[in-house]
Order: sequence, then structure tokens, then C-alpha cells
Amino acid sequence: MVELARKPCVLEVPATVGALGDIAAFVLRLAGRAGLGKRATYRIRLAVDELATNIVMHGYRGGDGRITVRGCSGPDGVRIVIEDTAPAFDPVAGRLPPAAGVPPQRRRVGGLGIHLALTSVDAYHYARRDSRNISTLTVKAEGTDPCPPRP
Amino acid sequence: MPLSVSLSIEGDTTVIELTGELDAKTAPEFHQTIEKAAGHGTSTVEIRMAGVGYMASAGLRSLVFAQQKVADHVTIKVVGAIEPVSRTIRTAGLDRSIILTDE
Repeated sequence: MVELARKPCVLEVPATVGALGDIAAFVLRLAGRAGLGKRATYRIRLAVDELATNIVMHGYRGGDGRITVRGCSGPDGVRIVIEDTAPAFDPVAGRLPPAAGVPPQRRRVGGLGIHLALTSVDAYHYARRDSRNISTLTVKAEGTDPCPPRP
Repeated sequence: MPLSVSLSIEGDTTVIELTGELDAKTAPEFHQTIEKAAGHGTSTVEIRMAGVGYMASAGLRSLVFAQQKVADHVTIKVVGAIEPVSRTIRTAGLDRSIILTDE
């Protein structure tokens, strides 16, 4: 169990490509506060970035929307909750494992970002509540679990 | 952090050098450079990534695009990628068709 501060930090941004940098900076600050190592910091940043990018590109499909990111950090790691009001989408169901055997000329790359996100974290949970998609991601501090799960 | 992209030709190799972060916001610039590189007709396209500190799946899409854009006989090399970036490339299985080297 990851022990985290009770009071979360919150960031709310418009669902645009331009706001992805703000989300990354928010995550990096939390990771720094938790004292995460380089690898764990990279993993949580990548996972949040991929899920947020997916919300911008495919969730709201270019329309207006907001993304709320809540974060808690503690000595054992970081937990991030991402919320949006786009149509229901469970990333676990939408994940597309890489088709390594398919020639590059015929390869699909859609869904790879979600695969990267889910394989970068130590724990992932999706819920649909009050017309909101809610993703919860946890990355433990470096050394507690060197092998992230392969969902 | 923005992405800096340069394009040059060294003998029979087209060299693309990237510095910065490769994500959904910056990848379109890399995409445009790949299109130019594909038009050079060299036998190798070398993508130097030692200066890339972060790469999201948008960068993977650019690498797949590069493979689809160049002729079958053209070799694509990714040179100097840091460990998390090369891990991302391997996770996508692109190391089967792109040569990953340290230098």
C-alpha cells in the first residue's frame, strides 16, 4: 500500500494539446515532492501524458472540455487521478498491445499510447461515475517494485 | 521543453538530429522533417536522439511513419536514445525493423 498525503494537489486545464505541458509540469512537481527516482518519474509522467493526450485527441474529439488532475505524493510514491467528462472510455478495454510481427507498412499505432501508459504504472484503476471517466494511477518510489505489471 | 530538429546529409546517410521532448505537441515538426528526409533518397536515415529527454507515443507514430515513408531498402537507425526512450521503442516492437544503437 502506498502511503500518501491526504490533501491532494489539483490542476484543472482545458482539454487541448497546449495544456499537456502544464499537466507534465504538475506531475513532475509531485514526483519531485515524493523524491521519486528518474525511472519512476519518467514512468508516471509518460502514463499521465498518454492518458491525457488520449482524452484530448479521442475523448473530446477536438471539442471543448476540461481535464482535472489530482495528485497525492508521499515517501512511497505518487498517485494521480485524471478526470474528464468525455464519453465513457475504459483504457484497459481500449488498450492495443503492439503487433510486433506486423510489417511497419501495415502497422496500426492507435492504442499504443494507452498500452505504454498501463505498462508504465504499478497500479491502474478506471471508473465511470457521475458521467465522468476517472483513471487512478499509482507509481511507487524507485526500488519498491522494479517490474511494473503488464496488464 | 520544445523540440529542436535539424536535417543534414553525410555521404549516403540523411541525418536527423533531435533535441528536447518528443510528444503530441512537438511530434508534427519531426513528422515534417521525416517527409523531407524520405525525399533525399539516401540508403540510410539516421535519427540521433541523444538529446531527447522524453518521448511519448507520438514519437513512436513518427518512427512508424518514417518506415512507411522510405523505400524498402532504406535502413532507419535510431542512435543514442536514453534508456527510457529506447525502452519505449522496444515496448512497441519497433526495434525489430529499426536499428537501435548507442553511437
